[in-house]
Amino acid sequence: MTKTLVTGATGFLGTSLVQRLVARGRTDLRCLVRQGSDVSHLEGVIEKHPDVERFVGSLASVDAAAAAVEGVDTIFHVAAAMGGAPADIFLNTVVTTKNLCEAIARTAPSRGNKPPLFVLVSSFGVYGVADLPRGTVVDEGTPLENKPARRDPYSQGKLRQEKLCWEYHDKGIIRLAVARPGVIYGPRGGAFSARVGLNLFGVFLHLGGRNTLPLTYVDNCAEAIALLGDRPEAAGQVYNVVDDDLVDADDYLRRYKQRVTPLRSVSLPYPVTMLMSHAVERYHRASKGQLPAVFTPYKTKTTWKGNRFSNEKLKAIGWRPIVTTEQGLERTFEHLKARAS
Amino acid sequence: MTLRVAIVGCGKIADGHVEEIQKMPEVARVVGAVDLEPIMAEQLAVRYGIEHHGADFSRMLREQRPDVVHITTPPASHLPLALEAIDAGCHVFVEKPFTLRHEDSKKLVARAEEAKKKLSIGYTYLFDPPALEMRSLLRQGVLGDVVHVESWFGYNLEGAFGKAVLGDPNHWVLKLPGQLFHNNIDHLLNKVVEFFAEDEDLPAISAFGSVRRRARLGDHRDRMMDELRLVIRGKRTTFYGTFSSHTRPPAHQLRVYGTKNTATVDFTMRTVTLETQSTLPSAIGRLVPAFSHAMQYVRAGGKNVGRFARSDFHFFSGLHYLFREYYRSIVEDTPPPISHRDILRVSAMLDEIFAQLDVQREELGS
Repeated sequence: MTKTLVTGATGFLGTSLVQRLVARGRTDLRCLVRQGSDVSHLEGVIEKHPDVERFVGSLASVDAAAAAVEGVDTIFHVAAAMGGAPADIFLNTVVTTKNLCEAIARTAPSRGNKPPLFVLVSSFGVYGVADLPRGTVVDEGTPLENKPARRDPYSQGKLRQEKLCWEYHDKGIIRLAVARPGVIYGPRGGAFSARVGLNLFGVFLHLGGRNTLPLTYVDNCAEAIALLGDRPEAAGQVYNVVDDDLVDADDYLRRYKQRVTPLRSVSLPYPVTMLMSHAVERYHRASKGQLPAVFTPYKTKTTWKGNRFSNEKLKAIGWRPIVTTEQGLERTFEHLKARAS
Repeated sequence: MTLRVAIVGCGKIADGHVEEIQKMPEVARVVGAVDLEPIMAEQLAVRYGIEHHGADFSRMLREQRPDVVHITTPPASHLPLALEAIDAGCHVFVEKPFTLRHEDSKKLVARAEEAKKKLSIGYTYLFDPPALEMRSLLRQGVLGDVVHVESWFGYNLEGAFGKAVLGDPNHWVLKLPGQLFHNNIDHLLNKVVEFFAEDEDLPAISAFGSVRRRARLGDHRDRMMDELRLVIRGKRTTFYGTFSSHTRPPAHQLRVYGTKNTATVDFTMRTVTLETQSTLPSAIGRLVPAFSHAMQYVRAGGKNVGRFARSDFHFFSGLHYLFREYYRSIVEDTPPPISHRDILRVSAMLDEIFAQLDVQREELGS
């Protein structure tokens, strides 16, 4: 009998993934839940499926992870730190992934020494796009970031996590398939990606201009990840996950203001953002870090220079969005409006 | 002489150490980062451009031959790591809490003294500008004789670290003799030891701990105490100590009541204010103090703006000044900035407090 593990199952994406896996007929699920986590959303998804197991545990050590992976032959690894201090991000994203992979190695006999399929949820953040020309199409062949120390801690952590997983793939401990989602959005998600802009001191700085947003509605993203678990050819491959009919940052902000709440915003053209980034970085250095380098030219080029995005490879294995971008935005803004009121 | 520094333990606080050391390249340079988990050592080294990183502390000592080792690991490993570093000829800076037990602290101090190595501890707030200002007021006699001191340390269990502690039933904080208090109340106690009488090492202490948050995890974590009150009876001065995880905002203050005036040091706002006796008659005497107090805050705010303008208003200002003083003590072979006696006074108090809390837990049947 096969068994499938989902880490991060109580989270925004994880809950949706469990839903899509069940919808695709995979009910042999073990959902890893940390003690004390809010399981209300997950319970709503799995209550009608007695086969789905809620497994209370953690990835904080190899021993703890080994209990979760015993007898498992497919793993969807969604759990990751979404914020916090850099050390915490590495501890809760990279070290936990290492514990998981080590636990898989240790429990190999429980699955007949066959390496399990390991679907990793990575991120667009691993790409090194700062030095690429504006408008470059980001596909799976785009180079990975080679200056991680100049990026935000989340991207650094995801980059190291993905590299680590490839090391275990190369050692034959796992069969790795990587999903690299763009900006995952939907009800329960945040209102704004940094690609649209940043809220600073009560004013929203609109920095994305007419740049295309690499949006993926949470259910579409979950469907893509679930699909990778069903496609043997996905092992050893990387897939970008972005939806069709993407909107730009201007459009997103305009619709948000119309549908959710009128928001005070200031639009900064890209050259102005670059000038400001130079100034912020210079001050950060001169003051020896008295204020954080929220903006640096490198981060600005990465985030706001503007790229286009390809999902051709994912479509080639049969993925189609199950929610259009129009529907996805409508549902998201409706939820955000209800939350705001 | 530029001191070669190695860091062992590459968690969150190690960032603060490296950042402050890298602000004084003429004094010290971080040459190595070590962590039992090599990924953690690597991430610190990559982010801060540290030349060497790895998981083998002995090898780092052997190959990099640091002058100073900063120990920023969980407390259970402080003693063995510090002893090994001293035996390898290094000076040692240990994060708080110094060790797990007073006996261990005495052992470590004795070994450092025997080896003639400088030992210090991360009592960062003692070197924050407001603490230095308060000490200056004391020296000038502005407060008179100190009658009573109140030390308050607020904590937010909803923060990232608090969540990590409560999210992992095997978290190292839960294994400390004093659990959450053990990892924090050095900052409560280290501010009062300087008011002890010269011949006073362990005054009488009454400690009362409790759990205020709602039980929701169904295991030993629900029994971790999160509120602590202390009454310390010194020979000439008395002390109240409060550690609170629930009051908001999580205040961080020291109030020093003197025979002449009373000073309030606010470590969050970075202000020092004085309450003085009014010399004005009747209702005027009650009207004016609010304005004079407001003016003190305006002046303190102005001082802070000045520090900010001079790029001297960092989060870890105290750590920076503490490191400078510590490194100077190494280079000039002068006494370290925090006396061994004060380190041991704090560790003795910790033992006494946790012993009392153990009894309370037993009485409560937990």
